[in-house]
Amino acid sequence: MEQIHLNRECLKLGKREEGGMSQKKRILIVDDDPDFAAAIQKILTSADYYVGVAGNVEDGMKAIEEEIPDLILLDVMMEKYDDGFNMCYDLKHDDRYRGIPVIIVTAVTEVTGLKFNPETDGEYLEADDYVQKPISAEALLTKVARLI
Amino acid sequence: MSGERARILVVDDEKVIRDSCTRILTTEGHIIKSAENGNIGLEVFREFHPDLVLVDLKMPGKSGMDVLEEIESIDPNVVQIVITGYATVSSAVDAMKRGAYDFIPKPFTPEEILLIVGRGLEKRRLLLESEALKVEHERIRRNMISLVSHELRAPLAATVQYLEVILGGMAGEIPSEAKEMIVRCDIRLQEMLELLRKWLNLATFDSPKMAEHFQDISLSDIATESIELMKSLAEEKKISLILETSKDLPPIKGSKVSLEEIFNNLISNAIKYNKAGGWVKVILYGREEEVWVEISDNGSGIDEEHLSRIFDEFYRVDGRRNAPIKGSGLGLSIVKKMVDAHGGMIDVESKFGEGTTFRIGFPKFFQRQKEG
Repeated sequence: MEQIHLNRECLKLGKREEGGMSQKKRILIVDDDPDFAAAIQKILTSADYYVGVAGNVEDGMKAIEEEIPDLILLDVMMEKYDDGFNMCYDLKHDDRYRGIPVIIVTAVTEVTGLKFNPETDGEYLEADDYVQKPISAEALLTKVARLI
Repeated sequence: MSGERARILVVDDEKVIRDSCTRILTTEGHIIKSAENGNIGLEVFREFHPDLVLVDLKMPGKSGMDVLEEIESIDPNVVQIVITGYATVSSAVDAMKRGAYDFIPKPFTPEEILLIVGRGLEKRRLLLESEALKVEHERIRRNMISLVSHELRAPLAATVQYLEVILGGMAGEIPSEAKEMIVRCDIRLQEMLELLRKWLNLATFDSPKMAEHFQDISLSDIATESIELMKSLAEEKKISLILETSKDLPPIKGSKVSLEEIFNNLISNAIKYNKAGGWVKVILYGREEEVWVEISDNGSGIDEEHLSRIFDEFYRVDGRRNAPIKGSGLGLSIVKKMVDAHGGMIDVESKFGEGTTFRIGFPKFFQRQKEG
């Protein structure tokens, strides 16, 4: 919990500096694996993004309501195996949020895996891009830069 | 089903039989529909979805035997009982060979028909139960696999992600000796992730489900992409990659991701089990009803004793832990399964020390196999 709180502060911090010269782009990570999120956060902050982390869908939605991020990195399997699916669907069917680029991050994007397959679920999911855990820093930053 | 309301269809050209069956079985609380000939019977069958069907073998028009066979092919879990005229036991036996569960000779008493229908409905109950158990078993198996693999992958993914940050210098300077060790950690964990990925791929492979999403695929596009992906590995090992594709290669029906998997597996094998200065050649051509893919190399080749087993799961030609090239033993079994799912065929020719050729034929027009 403490970590989530701390990371939300990061988001707000970004806002306070907005009046300054440069406007850093804000990225929200929604992932229930704090280690994975911390590693990704480090890669993104090294590339000069402001990064917030939410550990579940509820906190993720709260963070988005407070401040619309420039991009969301969204894990699929959190408390429930399809949390990320549903959150992505909700975002893309809400006029306020449909413009936020969403990158789906998952450990299970197998060719014929049961849970998720871009070939069959892509239409339903409507995410802007997909990455598989783990991801190289270079690949992640390229994908993020393309959408932001 | 026994003791519950069942849906029963009676197909008989004699009105008196239809009426008496209806009367007797209705008293048991069952829902009865009847038809006076085979064609009407089948029509009613499709709408009514009965648990049990009573079919007269001798009817004008469509014969009872044909009705029996058609119902059997629509739903093998429906229990069918044939009604036969006197002294035609041989045709009743014939009917049972074609899927009927039991027979009742005419004329029959209410007790006789109730007994036979009661037994038939018990059979129906068991059939439905076993079907439900099968479905449940498969669901549990798949959920289990998917859950276990997620639980195994997640910690690996997080760890590898940290190593990526450390090796990328984002967490400060690392002494060179430590860096070498971290690089090794990263390689070993990546291998484990790849093994998990392949195992999950095999364990959850569902070819009828995949076939539902088949589309027109150009194999030369897939081959080009795969070669592009393997370029850096080939350059590292000083292997040249050659693609020869005939003009106007027709598309096949298939799954893009699975076909990529086939090409990636075979091409990366041909590179890995090769020597500096070697080559890997991918040839594509159409012939009559098939599109053929040949992936050959002049690498180390496979000894004849191993050749028949290379498509087996977890089989490795060099199984030593310190083998110079580490494989999972799953790559070729994935290839085989995916070729099968496309209705294709694969064979291999190899000479130890000279090289290997894999040849795959894909049908241009995929016919979905019947399930079951």
